[in-house]
Amino acid sequence: MREEIINCKNQALAQIMSSSDSNELEGIRIAYLGKSGKLTSLIKGIKDVPEEDRGQIGILINQAKNTVIEEIANKKNSLSISSRKWFDPTIPGIKPKVGHLHLVTSAIREISDVFEKIGFVRVRYPEVEWDYYAFGGLNFPVNHPARDDWETFFVDTIENSKYGPMLLTPHTSSGQLREMERAKPPIRMINIAKCYRRQSDVSHTQMFHQFEGLVIDKGISIVNLKGTLDYFAKNFFGNNRVARIRPYHFQFTEPSFEVDISCDICQGKGCRLCKEGWLEIGGAGMVHPTVLKNGGIDPNKYSGFAFGWGVERVLMMKSGLNIADLRLLYSTDLRFLKQF
Amino acid sequence: MDILIPDGWLREFLKTNATNKEVAKYLSLCGPSIEKTSKTENGDIYSIEVTTNRMDTASVYGIAREASAILPRFKKNAKLVNLEQKSSYKFVSKVKYLNSDINSKLCPRFTAVLIKNVMLAESPKILKERLTQSGIRPINNIVDISNYIMCELGQPVHTFDYDKINNHLMILRESNKDEKITTLDDQSYILSGGDIVIEDGTGKLIDLCGIMGGKLSAVSETTKNVLLFVQNYNPAYIRKTSMKLAKRSEAASLFEKGIDSEQVKTGILRAIDMFVKLTKGIPEKEILDLYPYPYKEKTLKIGLDEITNKLGIEISKKDISDILNPLGLILSWQKNTLKVSIPSFRSMDINIPEDIIEEVARIYGYHNLPSVLMPGVIPDKPNSLPFTFEDKIKNILKGYGGCEVYTLSLVSKNNTFEGSLRLNNPLGPESEYLRTTLIYSLKEAAMENSGEKEPFHFFEMANVYIPKTNNLPDEKMTLAGIFANTKFREAKGIIESLLNELNIKAEFIQEELKDFIPGQRIAIKSGGKEIGELGNLENGNLIYYEFDTARLKSLSQDFVKYISITQYPPQIEDVTISFPEKTKIGEVIKLITDNSKLITNIELKDIYKDNYTFTIWYQDPTKNLTDREVAEIRNKIIQSVKAKFGGQEH
Repeated sequence: MREEIINCKNQALAQIMSSSDSNELEGIRIAYLGKSGKLTSLIKGIKDVPEEDRGQIGILINQAKNTVIEEIANKKNSLSISSRKWFDPTIPGIKPKVGHLHLVTSAIREISDVFEKIGFVRVRYPEVEWDYYAFGGLNFPVNHPARDDWETFFVDTIENSKYGPMLLTPHTSSGQLREMERAKPPIRMINIAKCYRRQSDVSHTQMFHQFEGLVIDKGISIVNLKGTLDYFAKNFFGNNRVARIRPYHFQFTEPSFEVDISCDICQGKGCRLCKEGWLEIGGAGMVHPTVLKNGGIDPNKYSGFAFGWGVERVLMMKSGLNIADLRLLYSTDLRFLKQF
Repeated sequence: MDILIPDGWLREFLKTNATNKEVAKYLSLCGPSIEKTSKTENGDIYSIEVTTNRMDTASVYGIAREASAILPRFKKNAKLVNLEQKSSYKFVSKVKYLNSDINSKLCPRFTAVLIKNVMLAESPKILKERLTQSGIRPINNIVDISNYIMCELGQPVHTFDYDKINNHLMILRESNKDEKITTLDDQSYILSGGDIVIEDGTGKLIDLCGIMGGKLSAVSETTKNVLLFVQNYNPAYIRKTSMKLAKRSEAASLFEKGIDSEQVKTGILRAIDMFVKLTKGIPEKEILDLYPYPYKEKTLKIGLDEITNKLGIEISKKDISDILNPLGLILSWQKNTLKVSIPSFRSMDINIPEDIIEEVARIYGYHNLPSVLMPGVIPDKPNSLPFTFEDKIKNILKGYGGCEVYTLSLVSKNNTFEGSLRLNNPLGPESEYLRTTLIYSLKEAAMENSGEKEPFHFFEMANVYIPKTNNLPDEKMTLAGIFANTKFREAKGIIESLLNELNIKAEFIQEELKDFIPGQRIAIKSGGKEIGELGNLENGNLIYYEFDTARLKSLSQDFVKYISITQYPPQIEDVTISFPEKTKIGEVIKLITDNSKLITNIELKDIYKDNYTFTIWYQDPTKNLTDREVAEIRNKIIQSVKAKFGGQEH
């Protein structure tokens, strides 16, 4: 048996040595290692070997088998390229059909991810709203310009005796009172929704998206607003970015702020794209006590902050996309949509 | 509102050692935002954004006052130079030279004075330079004085040719419908009523108040006697008129935001001084001043703890006083309570204690406050939020090669169903209605890409607005999609797979509806209720589907029941059957499956002419099926198909 194994192996090795292409090698593989190959039959015969020799014979056959496999592989590798089985690694793959999510969807996902990690609850409130939630309840005086026909869309329907005219919400701030009506403090809301304003030019679309943050709890201060803004700046735009706030004016916050994010192009030194190293992102402020009262929350016990920014704006700031006409974002041109 | 402030002019009222760069930087951090500093040969010009609540800063003097409070916080010297005024005039409610009837609801404070024997001339160089730098073209000394006062104080000033005011009578009132006026710039307007106007003694309109003067009484080269005119108006009226007539002017943009009544007095006194100096005119000693409700100083109280709590830091009483005093606020501490008297120029923006907190915080410097995330309890989430589910659908459709679009929810009358909500003030007829379906928007989207020859699939998830009586519309989050250049079986396969992935069992039932080719619309139902639709659209060779996302969510299962894996493999075979024309293959498949519980799956593998090849899985979870058992089921299938549909096995 021992001799038979060694002969078989040597025979195989001799044939491998003298073979000249991969087809021939495949024939050799089948002749020795195939289902009824010579080595395979020897392995099958192992059961007839006396028990005391079986271990040693087994090892010998295994060694022979491994040597033959190895040599076939070595020989294959040493064959000149022309005699190998033809394979073209440069041929393009057959790709699955690729779909595309809209840029706004991607931006909304990223924004809600950032805020949900620090306990904000994502909500959605009516896009067609009563004046009360969009303006009146947010402390807008009756004659405020935003309530004009020139700025806000009004729906042709009868006014509600309590809530006033029906309109398309011009900002996600209309969700503030809705949230206060839904939940008691502590509140950490992120409201992302469609908004509408009566404007259409290269940097404005009549339909757009905003995200509104609202935090109400005991002892909420400007320091906490700054903390949240810095957290967003770092987690949305990058670790080297910071936020700052400057004085501004809104009806429903007091004090009110304009929020800037440090420019990453010039690292805050000032460049063509920014204003002295800062990029404006949107408004924020401490919730006005009248708004808290309107939401059924005692302003002597609780305080809060809010901010509301354009999804499109932060998307442009983050991606560096240079879309000259923002209206393109809402076009349905495949040549545009397929790029993202 | 953006204003231009020349640095040289600013420094006439602001004595400081701060450089221009420092002025711009520090003001932006703590006060009005300096958007840009432009260099010119006559010095720098600041472009400043003034917020609408702080019209007291919309002037050279106002900015100087802000800077004098802000710069010392940055260790810069800064002193405000007070306005010089000669006060040898009397303010009276009746004068000999002018009869008037003024509606104080429209005009809270009305002042005017007659200046005789003015000499029209060119203005001095420095005055012209400053106006030019402020973006205003110098014209002559009379016009320039008005503009100069407006830039310096934020108070618009107007002048009439006194001799052109018939009967020296002015009636200030609301305009009537269809009244006509021609303004200084030769533009004629037919008013729609409700504008503030002045008529003279003959009933002619001589002023479109707060917007622009009338041509009839305009100052010209022959003017000898001038009526100098300084007022404030009800801001809402001014804005309405300005927007209605699409007539913007510097004066209008100041008046429409509201002007301090006390400042009117400062304005007319400064203007008289300039007239005397530049036109050699002789003013009357009595100034007409109609001011029935003078400003009463208001006071606010606030606790030290309120300030420190909102700021989030400790701050001393002395620091607070040092911050507020330079702003012109009058303070007194009673223990830890601060009493603040508000001067008239801040009466419009300081109304509640929080406004005082704002003043302390911004001058202290928001940039000096630390930045700390709030501690505290994380709120509970409401049950069953839709967002994860909506995202899942979008991901699935993207995976199938769909391309997401966002189309405008405002559509034309033709692009929505009857009874949709209409806007009162749309931008145009193509965006007049709130859509109740996405079908027309997506059809349009597909048509826009008619040049595309490859198959494509658009989908959108957006609210549609279903009207309700006496209430806000129902905002229904709708999933819709459209296929172009696509075979119906491929489109249907995507919808079937979507429902599969969402673990929704649904039936497809042929039901007709408008917009679809007759007989080629499928209602997709679950538990007898329609959850969506799919079908071939009339004209355009497009396939459309629409689902109510909330309904999908309520039917969808996150997890399915686990079925233990049987050790007995299925027997799988292909069976080819030919059918007569117009056989519904879906019904054939249902019949085949109904033949035996042991048929665990069936797929339509191939169609060739009228031959349909099905792959059928036979499997018994308890044992291996024998060839004979399979043959029995197969025979049953063949017989039933032949009996019901006339199908012949191949």
